[in-house]
Amino acid sequence: MNLSNEYMSLIEIAEKAGEPIRTDDAHVIVHANNIIAAKDIPGLEIDAEETEFGIRASFTVKAGAILKKPVHLCFGHLGKEGKQVIESRIVLEEGAKAKFYSHCIFPNAVKFLHAMEGDIVVGKGADMTYEEVHVHGPEGKIEVRPLTRVVVDEKGRYVSNFSLIEGRVGILSLDVEVDVVGRLGIAEITSKVYGKYDDICNVKDTIRLSGEKSSGLAKARVVLKDNSFGKFFGEVQGAADGAKGHVDCTEIVQGNAKAEAVPVVSVVHPGAEITHEAAIGRIANEKLWGLMAKGLTENEAIDVIVSGLLR
Amino acid sequence: MTDTPLLQVDEVTVTRENGKKLLDQVSLRVGHGEVTGVLGRNGAGKTTLAYTVMGLPSYRPNSGRIFFEGKDITNLSITDRSRLGITLAWQYPARYEGITVAEYLRLSRKDATRRELEEALDFIQMEPFYLDRFVDKALSGGERKRLELASIYLMRPKLAILDEPDSGVDLLALGDVIKLFKKLIDFGSSVLVITHRDDIASACDRAYLLCNGKVMLEGQPVAVKQYFMSLCSPCSDPLLAGGVISNESQ
Repeated sequence: MNLSNEYMSLIEIAEKAGEPIRTDDAHVIVHANNIIAAKDIPGLEIDAEETEFGIRASFTVKAGAILKKPVHLCFGHLGKEGKQVIESRIVLEEGAKAKFYSHCIFPNAVKFLHAMEGDIVVGKGADMTYEEVHVHGPEGKIEVRPLTRVVVDEKGRYVSNFSLIEGRVGILSLDVEVDVVGRLGIAEITSKVYGKYDDICNVKDTIRLSGEKSSGLAKARVVLKDNSFGKFFGEVQGAADGAKGHVDCTEIVQGNAKAEAVPVVSVVHPGAEITHEAAIGRIANEKLWGLMAKGLTENEAIDVIVSGLLR
Repeated sequence: MTDTPLLQVDEVTVTRENGKKLLDQVSLRVGHGEVTGVLGRNGAGKTTLAYTVMGLPSYRPNSGRIFFEGKDITNLSITDRSRLGITLAWQYPARYEGITVAEYLRLSRKDATRRELEEALDFIQMEPFYLDRFVDKALSGGERKRLELASIYLMRPKLAILDEPDSGVDLLALGDVIKLFKKLIDFGSSVLVITHRDDIASACDRAYLLCNGKVMLEGQPVAVKQYFMSLCSPCSDPLLAGGVISNESQ
């Protein structure tokens, strides 16, 4: 099957979205359930196979390997309808360091299901950054279901940034759970979503801190306008001595949109400390007025504030 | 210099919905190239006056008029007033997540070069590395205040309203505030400075003493300052209510 057009289109859209995929970078590029291109590099093993509706892939960053450039995962579909299911397992062995950049590209989707089921293991002293950026078209109602389970070992660090701000969200059910089991382990999860029209945006971030002196941050920035709906559920649980965590949620609501935030802080060890902050509602007047006093109109001020928040 | 003042506030009254008068028939003028001080204790109505001149929606006059360069701006929006050349350095500047200091400063002057941004920061004693920081929790309240002043330095407005420019965690020294006044005047701006510090008032060309939303004294800064410092209780002194100390009386 010749998929050169699909390949070129996905690469081009990824580049426009801000993170180009270069041919010498480690990558896996998938259209529908076809692996169009795959490349590993020293220190990284990739094992991928096609399934009925997507792919199943495992990535292992070998012990001590430090990948200087991001590993690009590009999952997309150029059609209007369909279904894509991505099953992945990423393991960073002891002392490894890597950044995975996941591009999820559905520019024409009208009726589509994109499901991702990911298992991630961050080994002792390993450091992983996971960026997931979605590019959707302006029409239609794609259903996006990213489900990720992460385990972080001693002195390991897991940082994830999920971003769905281009085009319509559709129906999003983001569900990330991180278990920081190792001493001095770190987890930081950030989710940024811009809901429009009648989009539904559900973001669920959970961090359990069972490692001594481990730390975690669950952060969400959600902007909702038109008739969209958004709900953030962020939970950080302190279950070990010296564990420190924080839940930080800001939801801005415009038009007829509706928002809910459920920050949950729980402590099951007397030596743990968990805090939270949540701001939900319209943009504060003082922010708007501050910019309007510099000559911006109210709408220009809103654009500046929203784009900063979702940056 | 023209006879028409740059800013003229004419018997402005601002009343809350509960009937409380925040400003009571306040009249004030700022001349071209002048630094005008508004002195008063906490709660006197100084910041309310600044917000009213800037045009904040909750601080619209119930009566009275505001003129800028002879034009009635009483019903203009904040944006329109800003575009006419009025701006405000806030006492407690807001945080803006995801916006760098450089981007924030360029909202005041779009075409400013990196060098000009650095110069503005240098003027208020901030290092160039701040340009890449975000205007959020990464900056202290004092740093955000300085940034507001840098913003005004770049904007070069016709009228800069400075609300307590010297207050905050990271205080600007009196000399720095006076240096800023002089620089703004050099740029062709006029300044309306809100302060509760008598030494700041001394650096003005004209001063007003505000108490309980009323102008109690107007005149030479030294005289207004002296009255303010001498256990200011003008509200209880009916002879001084609405009083003017002329230049000759000094």
